[in-house]
Order: sequence, then C-alpha cells, then structure tokens
Amino acid sequence: MVTVAGIYAYAPAIAALPLASFLVALFAGRWLPKKGALAGILATGGSLVLSAVTLVELVLTGEGYDERLYTFVAPAETFDLGFGVLIDPLSAAMLVIVSLIAFLVHVFSLGYMNDEGEPGLPRYYAGLGLFSFSMLAFVFASNLLMAFVFFELVGLCSWLLIGHWYREAAPPSAAKKAFLVTRFGDYFFLVGLVGVLATFGTARFAGEGGFPAVAEHALAGETTVNTFGFAPETWFAVLGLLVLGGALGKSAQFPLHTWLPDAMEGPTPVSALIHAATMVAAGVFLLARMYGFYALLPTVLAIIAFTGGFTALFAATMAVVKDEIKQVLAYSTISQYGYMMLALGAGGYVAAFFHLTTHAVFKALLFLGAGSVIVAMHHEEDMWLMGGLKEEMRVTYLTFVAGSLALAGIFPFAGFWSKDEVLFETLVHGLGANPLLLGGYLLGLSAVFVTGFYTLRMVMLTFHGDPRTDAAADPHGVGWNVKFPLAVLGVLATVGGYLNPAPLAKLTGAEVDFLHRYLDGPASEELLTSAHHYGDLTHKWAGYTAGSVAGSESATMLAGAGLSLALALAGAGTAFVLYRGPDPDRHTEGLGDLRTVLVSNYYQDEYQVWLAEGLTLRAATAADTFDQGVIDGAVDTVSSVSLFSGDRLRRLQTGVVTNYAALIALSVLLGLAAFAVVGGWL
Amino acid sequence: MSRHWLVLAPAGAFLAAALALFVIDAVDRDSTNPTVLSAVATAGGVVAAAASAVLLLSNAATLPAELFGGQLVVDGTSLIFTFIFGSVTALVSLASLDYTRGLPFRAEYYLLVTLAATGMSLMASANSLAVVFVALELSSLPSYALVAYLKHNRGSVEAALKYFLVGALSSSILLYGISLVYAATGSLLFADVASAAGEAAATYPGVLGVGILLVLGGVAFKTASVPFHFWAPAAYEGAPAPVAAFLSSASKAAGFVVAFRVFVVAFPIDAVANPSTYAVDWVLAFTVLAVLTMTIGNFAAATQEEVKRMLAYSSIGHAGYVLMGLAALTGVGGVDAESTALGASMLHLLVYGFMNTGAFLFIALGEHWELGRTFEAYNGLAEDAPVACVAMTVFMFSLAGLPVGGGFLSKYFLVVGAIGAGVWWLGAVLAVNSALSLFYYSRVVKAMWIEAPADDREIEGYPPALYAAIVTAAVVTVLLLPGLAVFDGAAFDAAAALL
Repeated sequence: MVTVAGIYAYAPAIAALPLASFLVALFAGRWLPKKGALAGILATGGSLVLSAVTLVELVLTGEGYDERLYTFVAPAETFDLGFGVLIDPLSAAMLVIVSLIAFLVHVFSLGYMNDEGEPGLPRYYAGLGLFSFSMLAFVFASNLLMAFVFFELVGLCSWLLIGHWYREAAPPSAAKKAFLVTRFGDYFFLVGLVGVLATFGTARFAGEGGFPAVAEHALAGETTVNTFGFAPETWFAVLGLLVLGGALGKSAQFPLHTWLPDAMEGPTPVSALIHAATMVAAGVFLLARMYGFYALLPTVLAIIAFTGGFTALFAATMAVVKDEIKQVLAYSTISQYGYMMLALGAGGYVAAFFHLTTHAVFKALLFLGAGSVIVAMHHEEDMWLMGGLKEEMRVTYLTFVAGSLALAGIFPFAGFWSKDEVLFETLVHGLGANPLLLGGYLLGLSAVFVTGFYTLRMVMLTFHGDPRTDAAADPHGVGWNVKFPLAVLGVLATVGGYLNPAPLAKLTGAEVDFLHRYLDGPASEELLTSAHHYGDLTHKWAGYTAGSVAGSESATMLAGAGLSLALALAGAGTAFVLYRGPDPDRHTEGLGDLRTVLVSNYYQDEYQVWLAEGLTLRAATAADTFDQGVIDGAVDTVSSVSLFSGDRLRRLQTGVVTNYAALIALSVLLGLAAFAVVGGWL
Repeated sequence: MSRHWLVLAPAGAFLAAALALFVIDAVDRDSTNPTVLSAVATAGGVVAAAASAVLLLSNAATLPAELFGGQLVVDGTSLIFTFIFGSVTALVSLASLDYTRGLPFRAEYYLLVTLAATGMSLMASANSLAVVFVALELSSLPSYALVAYLKHNRGSVEAALKYFLVGALSSSILLYGISLVYAATGSLLFADVASAAGEAAATYPGVLGVGILLVLGGVAFKTASVPFHFWAPAAYEGAPAPVAAFLSSASKAAGFVVAFRVFVVAFPIDAVANPSTYAVDWVLAFTVLAVLTMTIGNFAAATQEEVKRMLAYSSIGHAGYVLMGLAALTGVGGVDAESTALGASMLHLLVYGFMNTGAFLFIALGEHWELGRTFEAYNGLAEDAPVACVAMTVFMFSLAGLPVGGGFLSKYFLVVGAIGAGVWWLGAVLAVNSALSLFYYSRVVKAMWIEAPADDREIEGYPPALYAAIVTAAVVTVLLLPGLAVFDGAAFDAAAALL
C-alpha cells in the first residue's frame, strides 16, 4: 500500500520529465535518430502516466496535497516566497489534459516536422519540452509567485516556438508580437502579484492560509490586512483586475487578442499545443486556480463575464471571413476562451473547466487535422485552394468533422455539453439576481450561431466540393504518426461531453455529472478549492443566485439548450446551404464594407499599432528627451561630481608613506577629540 | 578534555601544513617539487575548511568551547571564519602553483601563506586582548613578507615597506589601546573586560574610551577601513596577485572577526555607552566608519584606470558594507535584527572570500599572460579565454550585488538587518554605493566581452591550476546564491550567540 504522500511526492517529476527531454534535445538532439522527438515522446508519455496515476490516487483517496518544495523566504519573515506543489482536483485534471495534449503533439510532430525534413529539429523539440515543463509546473504551482514564474516561462517558450522558422520574415515578427502583447498583460500581473504579497504576506492559493481565504476573512471583518488606505472591497478588486491583465493577455481576450492569429506563423503542432493546452489555457486556468479570490469580487466577475462574452462574439465574427484554415481556427480559439471567461465571470467554475477540457480536446484535434491537411496540400493553407479532400483523407476528414461539430456545439459532441453548461450557468445567474449577466448571455448566445456558421464553412471549403487545385486533387498521404493522435482525439471529441452531461443529470436525477462531482470531491475540501465552496462564495459575496424561466429549473435548462442547439444548427445549416455544391461561391463578398471591416479584424491591429507608434512612441520620445536632458543631466552631474571627488580622493593617496602615517595619526586624534567632546571626558 | 582539542582542528590543519612545509624545505631544499608544496598548502586549507564546516554544521562539538583558561574560544563565529580562511588559503595556494612557477623561494611562499592563515584562525578564536595582538602579528608579519615576495620587483618591495610601516604604526596604536583598556578594567580576558567595563566607564570614562577607540583603530587597519586604508591599494597593487587575493579576502575577514568579538563581547555597548556610564559609543564610531569606508572606497574605485587598483578600492568599499553589521547594533531592532545584521556581515565575508579571491586570481591570470594593468588590456579577452571571462563576469556582477551569485543575498540580508535595526539610511547608502560599484565592475565586463581585442595579444597556454582555482571560485560563488541557505542559519545563530 503506497501512502498518499508517496504518490504525490513524485508529482514534481511530471514536470521534470519534459525538462529532462528539453535538456536531452538541446544538448544531444542532433545526434539522436529522431532529433529528440523520442525523448520528448517518452518524457511526456511518462508525465501522462504519472498524471493519470496522480488523478486516480486523488479520486480513490480523496486527499489533496499542498506541499512546499523550496523556500526563498520563510513565511515567518516578511513575505512567504517559495515553490510548492498543489494537487487538488483542478490541477490533477489539468495535468492529465496538458500531458495528454503534449504527448500527442510530440507524436504528431514526427509526421509534421521530421517526415517533412524541417530544419532545426533539436531546437524544436527542446522548445516543446521546455514548453510542456513550464506549463505543467504552472499547473501544479501552489502559489501565485511560482505561477507567475512559470507563466513567464510559458511566454518565453511560445516566443521560441512561434519563431521557429526564424529565417523567414513573418515568424520572428509574430513571435515578437506574441511575446510583447502577452508581456503587456503580464506587467499588470506582476504588479498584482506584488500587491497580493504586500497585502496578504502570502501568495499561496489553497487552504486556510492561502490568500483567497485570508481575503474572505478580511472582507468579513474577521482579520485585517494592509489595504493601503482603500476599503478592502476596492483594493481586492484592484488586485483582481491587475492579475486579470495577465490572464487576458495569455488567454487572448479582447483587447489583447491580437497576438494570437499572428502566432499561426509557428509550426502547426505548436499551434495545437499553444491553443489547446498550454499558453492560451494558462490565463483561464490562472483565474480558475484563484477562483476563491475572484468569487469575492462581484465587479471583477462582471468585467470578466462581459469581456468573455464580448470576445466570444467579436472573435467569432472575424472567423467568418477568413480564407486560411489556421486563421479560422485561431479566431475560434479566441472565441472559445471567451466562453470560458464568460463562465468564470458568471459563477460557472465547473462549466468553465468543463469547456476548457472539451476545448483542449477538440481544438487540438482541429489543429492537428489542419496540420494533416496542410501537409497533404504541400503547405498550402488557403481553403479556397482546397476542396474535395474528404475522399482522399478519410481519417482526417472524419476526425476533423467530429472536432468541428464539437466546436460548433452540435449535439451530442463534446462541445455541445460544455458550451451549453456555460450558457446555462450564465442564464440562471442572470435570471437570479444579476440581470447584467443576461447581457453576457446574449453575446455568448449570438456567438453560437456565428460559430456554427464559420465552422461548417471551414469544413465545406476544405473537404467538400470538387478539388480546386492540383494539390487538392492529389494530396500527399500522411502516416500513422498523424493518424494516431487524430484518432485518439476524434474519439474523445465525440464522447468527451459525457464527462459532465449536466442536463441529463438534472432531468433524470442520475448521478452522471462526473466532472462536477469530481471537482467537488473530498480532496478539494480542506484546500478550499471545491466547486460548492466557490458556489457559496459567489452566492455570499457576489449575490449570485439561480433563477429560472417559468419557475422550473428543468424548463430553463431545456429552453436554454434548445435555443443554443437551434442557433448552432441554424448557423451550420446556413453555411451548408451557402457553400454546398462542387464549386461554392465567395459569399462573403456580398457583405460589402462589413467584410472589409471583418477582414481587417475591426482595425484592432491598426489602432494598437497607432497606440504604439502614434502615442507610445511619441510619449516615449518626449520622455527620452526629458530623460536625456533633465534626468541624464542630473545623473551626469552626479557622476561628474562623483568622478571629480573620486579623483580628489585619489590624490589623498599620494604614495608617500609619511603622508599616510600623518593622515592616520590626524584622523585618530580627530576621532578622539570628537568622542571626547561627545563623551564628556574633558 | 581530548574532545576540546578536536575543535582546534582547523587551526591545527594550517599549523600542520606549515610544519610539513618546513620539513619538506629543510630536507630537500634544491629540487623541491612545486606541486608537492602547493598540494600541501592547498590540502591544509581544504582540511581546515572541511573541519570547520563539519564542526559547524554537525554540532559534533559542544560549542562554545573555551581552551587554555579561556584564552581561546571555538564557537560558531570562529568556525565560520576558519572556513573562510581555509577556502581562501586553498584557492590561493592552488592558483599559486602556476603563478610562482619558475620563481625562487616557493617553499617559503607557501610557508608564509599557511603561517599567516594559522594566525588568522587564532584571531578568529582569540578570547583575550593579548591573544588578539599576538595572533594579529602572527598573521601580519608573514603578510608583509609575502607582499615583498617578488623581491627584485621595485613595486613589490615598495608596497611591502609601506604596508609594514603603516602596519607598525597601527599595531602600536592597537597595543596602546589594549594597555589603556587593561588599565581601566584590570583584565585582558574578554569576559572579564566585559564585566568590568560598566564600572570602568563610570570611573575612568576617558581612559576606557580612548582605549576602545585605539583598539578600533588597530582593527580598522587590519580590515583596511578608512582612514587606515592607505596601505591597501599600494600593497594589493604591488603584491603578487594571489597574495593580494589572500590579503583582501582572508586577512580582511580576520580583522573583522576580531572586531566582532572584541567589540560585541568585550565592550558591551550597554555598559560603555549607557547614559549613566558613558565612555564611548563605538556603534556610532562604526557607523561613521562604515559610511566613510564604503563611500570613499567606491568613489575612489570608480576613477581607477587599472583593474587591480580598482579591485583594491572596491575591497575597501566592501569592508564598509561589512562594517554595517556592527553599525546596526543600535539596540533599536532587538536581538533578531541585530543577529541578522551581524550574521549578514559574516555571510558577506564568506561570499566575498570566494568572489573577491576569484577576481584577484583572474588578475593573477592576466599577470601570468602579461596582459597589462589597465582596463583596455583586457579588451576582447573573452575571445581568447571565454571560461575565465565568464568566471570574471560572475565575480564582477556578484560583487556588484546582482543576483548571479551569493553577493546578492548577503547584501540583501545586510539591508534587511540595517532596516530592522532602525538605520534604514545605512541600507540606502549601501544601495547607492552598490549602484556606483556596478558602473566600474561592468567596465571590466564590457572590456572583456564588447570591446575589440588588441591585435598583437598572444595567449601562451592555459595554466591549469590557476584555471581550476578560478573556476572553483566562480562555481562556489554561483552556488552560494541558492546555497547560502546552508550557512545563513549557522551565521545568524553564531551572531546571536555573540550578542
């Protein structure tokens, strides 16, 4: 019988294995047969097994784990700074998701990178290893400081990987953009982190000593913390918003989403990893990780919900007019993470994580499917040059359709269940006592239609109709290493929704809402990270209560699910009608000026470039002038004074030893005289 | 009682090495193998450091242990310092193998190093003013001779003479101070001086006060604190670089251990600077000394054109940082803050023992290659000697207090201690000085990595022992960033035990 701590003590190895593969690929990659791919596959496979064992252990024993690994500064001193491992239902499940996707992406890379003879493979696999390591360590981080460190490492790795083909023009620029835009958000996170430490003295997530619990006690007036002269509610909201800045950047939420479509310049498996499980998921995961804190802050919750709902719709509309398959997927990612934000803001902790899970599966599937198509099309990404691929690429087609239906939210695929739960939670809490949330709900609901439309448009253009180019007529085959990950993910995208079919549970009373029960499990109880605890918090502090249509929960649920399914089907149906037939037309032309706006992504890049060049650069130039003139002037003066006085001091050093003796004797006498006066000896 | 003798193992290791060198030199004067000599001295240092570390961390001995009727004491403080002396001696002896290759009187050289180290380890354990003086001379006299080791080099001889003259003056000041203290308190043993200090301060405030101030002067000479620092730049510059490393790291630390013990133990500040029994407020004196020393050291370092001289002045600046440990004993922050400050001083000397020794050994490497003395002489050296330049970069940045090495943490603790003791402005002075020091340290780094190399430089071979010493020092400096955790508890405990 292995004790609980026994299994959990190996948790750091989940992250350490990919770190080892990073080192192997970096230093020995060029001599290895697959340039480091096998090390990466073994390492992430090992992580997957270990994470799965951890998950099973957690479920079986019902005990969590919150252990400090390394202390920089002990809690007894000013701040509690250290690294630790926190295993609760949320992180255990996320570890499985991340290591599963990382494992499949490594396998897929064999087909996408090795078989295509891409350059720089050791560097590529080293990057993947470091990326997986950073994300896994971020997931089990037990405090905000450690989370921040690995959050930044994730950002660094995305820079390395997006810019993999650094000899071309676009990838390095995209990598820089991803790095800078997310870094902009991270500034806020960093300030927020310092604020959290200064306020609570600790940045731990879980347990009675964690900062969410301390914050709750402070709000209840049971304890006091340093709120820098603000009311606790106000100050905590400021902290929450600052940390939210980092999450918005990483999870590509409006207005910091602009880096993500450009990031498509990276290799497609990297896109899959970034979008499904690592970088973009990090933002939402961070909010979920410290949900006990956000649940106390009604204003911040409302902002999160609105940002999420808006981003969901906003990004979806842009996806409608994109011609490149990966661009469509990029905007769909932004949109789907918007749903998760909406759920978090609306008090749907379980719904958000459920959607994160299903999205990880179907988005990885779609990216890998797109990668398979791109390989087949000899690295052509424009959907208008494809068509008719379904005959030649059965496995890719079938799995891609499964992923698309999941994305569109069509019953019974995974995305239907999770998206429905997101919308349901928003609706009931909106009906309850927060009519504001209904606005978020409407945004999310409208996005369902658009999502259905662009998803099916993508499928129709890529796989249906007649081949529009020679490459499409004679695609290049793909190997097992592409088909295997697709098959695994295809199955999961189809059945993944039964992880938490909340409507079935509610209607039949059967206990089938597994994920909810799991996240509410005993392991989370003592760590104060259980779903019902969060429910209590949102109810008590944010006033979230469940309302209903026509007084019946079942009726509300059926109405909500029916509505969203109908909208999804309507969107998909519209796309099917418009783009069916052997040679579909470019209907988006009919949108006129609107299309221009959409293709230009609502001029988001333009205004951000203007902000950077027109405003920031000018302000920076002015600041530089000021700096050069006034500050540097002052500094130069100080340094000239220093150097001058240094020079004087140097002259004291005459080199004549009698001078030294005289100076020493004189100083001693002066000292004696001074102390004689002070001490009153005389 | 036999157990007690064991705690003298560190000092014994130095002494045994010295005696072994005597024997080797006496038996086989002409064909003495330099490797054997260097190995014996290095082994002496390693054994001393290891014995200190074991005694310190294992609690094997019952500490503090007093010996010879209380003349010597072995406690956490003395063990930390013998660890520093041991490691510096080992690094310097190892590096000297290449440096003294082809020079005469090698056996004498190592002998003097180990004898000076013996004196330092006795200084660390001295528990009476008489022992302090004798041990101080035992460490100083070999040092004078070591500076003059290159006896046909005018600079070396001149430096030694200046060092000796200033040293003689300072010794006489110290001795006079000791006699006055004895006159006022009637004892030389620290414990007895301490118990008599209160009454002496009330009865003969002038005698005790002058005595204490003169003792402070003697200590300031050994630690190269302003205004007793004049010998340091000259001696470091003229001395062979490994000797400069030895003096600026180990000898300085020896001065500090005496300062810590004499002032904290023998002259309790409550007794000698009490409103009713006021002789002298030595905390105030150390505050003035700390500010003067760090400011003058750093400002002078900023204007130097020669790297070795810059390091000499920077070494004075670091003495100023360490003095903060004594300047923070204001009684405001309570025992916790004071032991943090004093412990931080010890930790800084520990880290300094590696980073500063390494930096001077890098200069020794430059002298071995005959690069020249100025900053420009090191231009573009990174192309020819990347490993050594990485090491030097680590030393420079760690000395400046950037978090690449242990120097960051020890400065951090110093500032924390100063703030805790209510002298936050001393921490601010340290910060300003560190910022200034970054300027001149980065000049070396810039020269090595960024500037274009001189065309006609030829590097003849890579001396293995010197390299080994430099790389070891660099690795330890970096490891001390996370690894200071091993020592910080011991240092804070040792400081608390003194207080």
